[in-house]
Amino acid sequence: MPECDNPLWPCAMTGAAACLAGFDGMSVVIHGSSGCYYYPTTLLHAPLHGTFILENEVIFGSEDRLREVIGGLAGNGNRIAVITTCVPAILGEDIQALLAEHDVLLVDSPGFAGDAEAGYTKALSLLLPRTDAATEGVNIDGICLLDPFYKGNLQEIRRLLAMASIPVATVFCRDSLPKIDTAAACTIGTNGDYPAHVGEFLGGTLGPGTLRATFERLGNTFEGANIDPVLRDLSHQEEEIVRICDKYLRRFDPPSVVIFSGASYAEFAAQALVQYLDADIRFIAFRNTGGTSRFPGGMVRGLNEARSCIGQHDPDLVIGSSFERSITGRRAFLGMTPPLRGSVRLCPVPLAGINGTLFFIEQVLNACMDNSHSES
Amino acid sequence: MCLKPSPTHTSRSGGCTLTGALSVTTHIRNAASVIHGPRGCAHHNFSLLHATQLDNEKVSVPDIVSSALGEGDIVFGGEEALARTLEVVCDRDVAAVFVLSTCVVATIGDDIAEVCSRDWGVQVIPVPTAGFLGGTFQDGVNNALLSLADSAEPCEKTMSVNIIGEKNLEYEVGENYAEVARLLSLLGLPVGIRFVHDLSSDKIRLLGAARLNILRDPALVPVGNHLLQRFGTPYIESFPAGFSDTLAFISAVAASCGRNPERALEIEQSLQAEILSDFADIHDAKGVFTSPVMDSGSVRAAQEAADALNIRVGPDEQARPLPVQPVVGTSGIRRMLHRWRRAIHA
Repeated sequence: MPECDNPLWPCAMTGAAACLAGFDGMSVVIHGSSGCYYYPTTLLHAPLHGTFILENEVIFGSEDRLREVIGGLAGNGNRIAVITTCVPAILGEDIQALLAEHDVLLVDSPGFAGDAEAGYTKALSLLLPRTDAATEGVNIDGICLLDPFYKGNLQEIRRLLAMASIPVATVFCRDSLPKIDTAAACTIGTNGDYPAHVGEFLGGTLGPGTLRATFERLGNTFEGANIDPVLRDLSHQEEEIVRICDKYLRRFDPPSVVIFSGASYAEFAAQALVQYLDADIRFIAFRNTGGTSRFPGGMVRGLNEARSCIGQHDPDLVIGSSFERSITGRRAFLGMTPPLRGSVRLCPVPLAGINGTLFFIEQVLNACMDNSHSES
Repeated sequence: MCLKPSPTHTSRSGGCTLTGALSVTTHIRNAASVIHGPRGCAHHNFSLLHATQLDNEKVSVPDIVSSALGEGDIVFGGEEALARTLEVVCDRDVAAVFVLSTCVVATIGDDIAEVCSRDWGVQVIPVPTAGFLGGTFQDGVNNALLSLADSAEPCEKTMSVNIIGEKNLEYEVGENYAEVARLLSLLGLPVGIRFVHDLSSDKIRLLGAARLNILRDPALVPVGNHLLQRFGTPYIESFPAGFSDTLAFISAVAASCGRNPERALEIEQSLQAEILSDFADIHDAKGVFTSPVMDSGSVRAAQEAADALNIRVGPDEQARPLPVQPVVGTSGIRRMLHRWRRAIHA
């Protein structure tokens, strides 16, 4: 595995924590040092517990410490999950056996095992989500605490499903823990980088085309559903997008763009930019190993690679995280990828659903116009 | 028989030596910091440092390189991965490369000192860190400062004062420095170097030139003692916290540098009186101190300010929560009083 300058993406342990901490009724314990605990805590803004192991526990074993922490959490009604970090994973203690008297979910997801998505997927699979034929409605997946848009996405998709009179079943992964066992038979997605693989997948909600197709499938699946209000609003808002983008194109050339993001959001952004602004997508720098794309792209793991990528493709607009913002120079920039540091964000905003596309396009246009004004 | 020592008296929340050391080494300009461990450790720290730099209006990013150990390296040893990383990094235009280890490589037992001692064509400085196995965050800071100090030689003294061990991850790091620099300027004393905050690597040689070193806080006393022995530079062991402490600080600096403090004390006392007058509207309020972390120096400074404004502190139904933060100097108290006013009038 080659060396990496300023790695841009969190590790598997953080991904596992992002999955498990999303469930109310779950106490998540990071089994490792305080250093490993602090990062997911600051990133996820969710209550996490830690064993905060010390050197002597590495030498003599962490059994007593684990029992102490688990014992303190037992009895509050929550299920306990223990995520191992690198050092306990290397030590190879049989933690499951050590904690046999407790109903503990052990997630062996040390940082060296891979990136955040790997840890998220593993943790979710260990929860053994199940469908229940008696559960009405549709599940929502792709709701991950690591994603800065997860709250906005969830609000927006709930809004649209309510407009269509379709109940929301289980939200993966931001729900109460018992609902893991009673998921509905169908699922729709938000951020496709965090799939749940539960029930029949009826489609995503990123971008008008995908959203329309997904709601048509929902309409065909649920007898009592009325998707017309959603489709009407979608058509109306899409006309607004077209109108405002046409106006932009009367004065400005389409932007050339480099996108740094997870595969799902990157594809959404590229499609929307081409569809509405005839943009030139010069490169998609993927944070993770996603699906195939019709746009040129490849994995970019470190900041120097990202810097070279911007230099080589010389875009008007860079879409990425605050890491990329720091190397964007005088180009227009739009924050879409975590982390989004250095700016205050209080209001939940979506990328999914109708409002997600509206938000994305308005941000792109404002970033490009602001940049043109500052250059002139 | 249980041979396990009790961890009761050891801090479990002391943080990671790696983060502490990086908060120092990434503030050396034109140098790279190599983290020998999994990619995730480097990302965690990069993201944290990036966030704190943005908080301090710095758009530059720290130069951190991970040896990106995978499962294979952990099974078979990671020294080759470190050597491969150093080959790439040392080939760049950098004045120095710092090598910091993680708890993972401390566990698998890589010989980092041996890899660093090879001829790389550029100074490669191993900094003793091993994640949590190397101690606490503060140990990481101290070890990095000590490693850097040893790269400077004694030199001719000047009438300047060094700032030692600023908390570079602190939200108010810039404001705290500005306050100490202001106090020094009252005595006509310039700052020598900020060891280490945004420091050019060629300036480290000036470390021994100062007449006095001012440590950020008493946890840096081992560093102060090392600099005293190496360069003969005396030190003051902490930034001042609160009104009276600030006046005592001015007197101590003046005594150490052979300056008359009278005029400086007069100016500072006048500023403190002006601040108390500005906050006359919160006289006689009732409050209770609140803070996530309450250190004794901050509480003492807060109590002194409360007494000066006749604010009664203690449990009471009408008591308002008064936030207590680590304050530096007179200006730190003024900022804290603004927060108190907001809380009292809320």
